[in-house]
Amino acid sequence: MQTIEGVRRSGVGIGPERTIRDAAAIMEHTGVGALAVIDGEDLVGIVTDRDLVRRGLAKDLPANARVDSVMSAPVVTIDAAADLHDAFALFRTHAVRRLAVVRGQQFVGMITVDDLLINLAADLVDLSRPVTAEILFAHRDSSVQATE
Amino acid sequence: MQASVGDRIVIRGRRAGEPNRDCEVLEVHGPNGSPPYLVRWGDSGHETLFFPGTDATVNRAERTPS
Repeated sequence: MQTIEGVRRSGVGIGPERTIRDAAAIMEHTGVGALAVIDGEDLVGIVTDRDLVRRGLAKDLPANARVDSVMSAPVVTIDAAADLHDAFALFRTHAVRRLAVVRGQQFVGMITVDDLLINLAADLVDLSRPVTAEILFAHRDSSVQATE
Repeated sequence: MQASVGDRIVIRGRRAGEPNRDCEVLEVHGPNGSPPYLVRWGDSGHETLFFPGTDATVNRAERTPS
């Protein structure tokens, strides 16, 4: 399974010159907790609701401070065509909850730990189905008599 | 996903009770109607780039033949 197929939620991107007030309002309105910061066509960072609190509010930054003053960079990325297991490996080796999914240098989406957990849960349900069926509907002897 | 200027994109709420959200496509930045899109969000008027996931669907704008 390719990583891009594991991306469940739409991604939202803003320019680095936008204000942290804008970023907070966009998060509130779009329901996402992290925005890709995109300069031209290049992904230059990620700003999360946590970044706004820790690097903005807690540091007394004005609401019109630029987004790139609080964003996280460089961004941990994964290629859209990479196997989803590679995403597991990146989460294992980096202290992040989101990976930017890219094609070349272009951002195409965000994959989160939550996405992987949901995919994993769905896989477990699929795996448990035959086992559950076996427990609920125990094997019966064949109604057809064996012939000699 | 393919969209054109004027189409609306609806993003399903993720949890029970979470409202759907929608935005209007202002510019198509990819080739042949593909993402990313510059969109304006509902009533807020905020403009952002949008990269659709599996939670998004396109409502085509009605177009009058020219």
